[in-house]
Amino acid sequence: MRILAVDDDPIILELLSQFVDVVGNHELTTALSGPEALEVVGSSRSAPFDCFLFDIQMPKMDGIELTKAIRDSTRYADTPILMLTAMSDKRYVDAAFAAGATDYVTKPFEVSELKARLGLVEGLVQARQSRTKKIFATQAISASSQPGVPADGLELYEPISIYDVDNVIEYMAMGNYVAQLSRSALFGSTTFAFTVRKIEEHHQSMSAFEFFSLVSDVAEVISDTLVGHQFLMSYAGSGTFVCVTESGWRPDMPALMDAINLSLSRTELYDNAGQQLYVRVSAGEAIRLIWKSENSVMEAVAAAHISAEAASASHERALKDFWLVEQRA
Amino acid sequence: MRDISEALLGIEKIKIRFLALLEERQGVIAHHALAAWESTDPNEVRSHLNAAQNILHQIAGSAGSLGFDSLGQVARDCENEIIAHLEGPDGKSTPLPFEIIGRMDAFVSMSQALLTEGA
Repeated sequence: MRILAVDDDPIILELLSQFVDVVGNHELTTALSGPEALEVVGSSRSAPFDCFLFDIQMPKMDGIELTKAIRDSTRYADTPILMLTAMSDKRYVDAAFAAGATDYVTKPFEVSELKARLGLVEGLVQARQSRTKKIFATQAISASSQPGVPADGLELYEPISIYDVDNVIEYMAMGNYVAQLSRSALFGSTTFAFTVRKIEEHHQSMSAFEFFSLVSDVAEVISDTLVGHQFLMSYAGSGTFVCVTESGWRPDMPALMDAINLSLSRTELYDNAGQQLYVRVSAGEAIRLIWKSENSVMEAVAAAHISAEAASASHERALKDFWLVEQRA
Repeated sequence: MRDISEALLGIEKIKIRFLALLEERQGVIAHHALAAWESTDPNEVRSHLNAAQNILHQIAGSAGSLGFDSLGQVARDCENEIIAHLEGPDGKSTPLPFEIIGRMDAFVSMSQALLTEGA
């Protein structure tokens, strides 16, 4: 992989050069500040980077601002960004995830930890490269203008990376974010989810690009509805958006669902043929994360996900039963 | 990919660089500590503490990876103490609590001992 590491401490950059050399066949470029990194990235001479390592605390431009600037470029909209954090940076980790970071490595780091993290990133990069190759193979251009949208189809169950929507992060980053929540943070944390009703029908009738656009639009409506609360959200696939808040806020799910659906009804959504789409969501249960271990936190997130899907399915069943009863009468 | 022993040789070189930098950095931290202690202007105190904290942050982040775990821990404790003070209710007042100066003194003394040992 081609990696760009940015840290204002030259010792860290030298250490990374040594460590990265040991853990794999990677090529490391270094920069001592955010502006220098942007210059390197913007230089037409440099080949694209596959991964970024950013220090969080830097003078002039910190790692969070740098992450935002990198995410603004189409080329690096979904390139993995690992934040290099010291224990005292923990308070900034939420903001880093919200800005688009994929994961983080704690300083002082060890070869084994760095190797494990870069191994995960390499898997992700390879999966994306094979997807990109498929796009080129099919020569479809309508969807490939959007990063993360394969023209040859998006599987229904696949998580989708959504950009430019506040507080929406990649699904992989959500897993990493949840894993780092400390015991004290879990005290006020709650996970909840929303599922787009009849998502299978939408998925079947749409192109990959239309489906991506639909998911992005719904993400924006949900994000706007939750504005004013601290939360992070990601699209987990199958029409479900998983959210986590650690602010102590206890979401009122029926009221939120109504607010989102009201907003969706006011937002006119159309497919490429100009046909207006009827899109509504169902809400699952809000599950508190207090006193849960790392594994059971992930299980709780999964439970919130399942409960939203179950609510959507139950809504459809109720509608069907309603019509059956009407016909009998 | 390089051999681990070759990489370890590289790390020895970084250790030497780290110690050379530490000599300079501990002097700068001592300067900021004294200036913060003597100042009666709250903004000036904050500015000196921020400058010291930035350097301590760098040391805390790299010392442990080079085998200087205790120094890294003392730097981190000192950094946390400064952050807690700056973000706390007394963050904009003078005089500076003695605990902070005590922590900075502990860090500078430990650095000097390490540098003497390495010399």
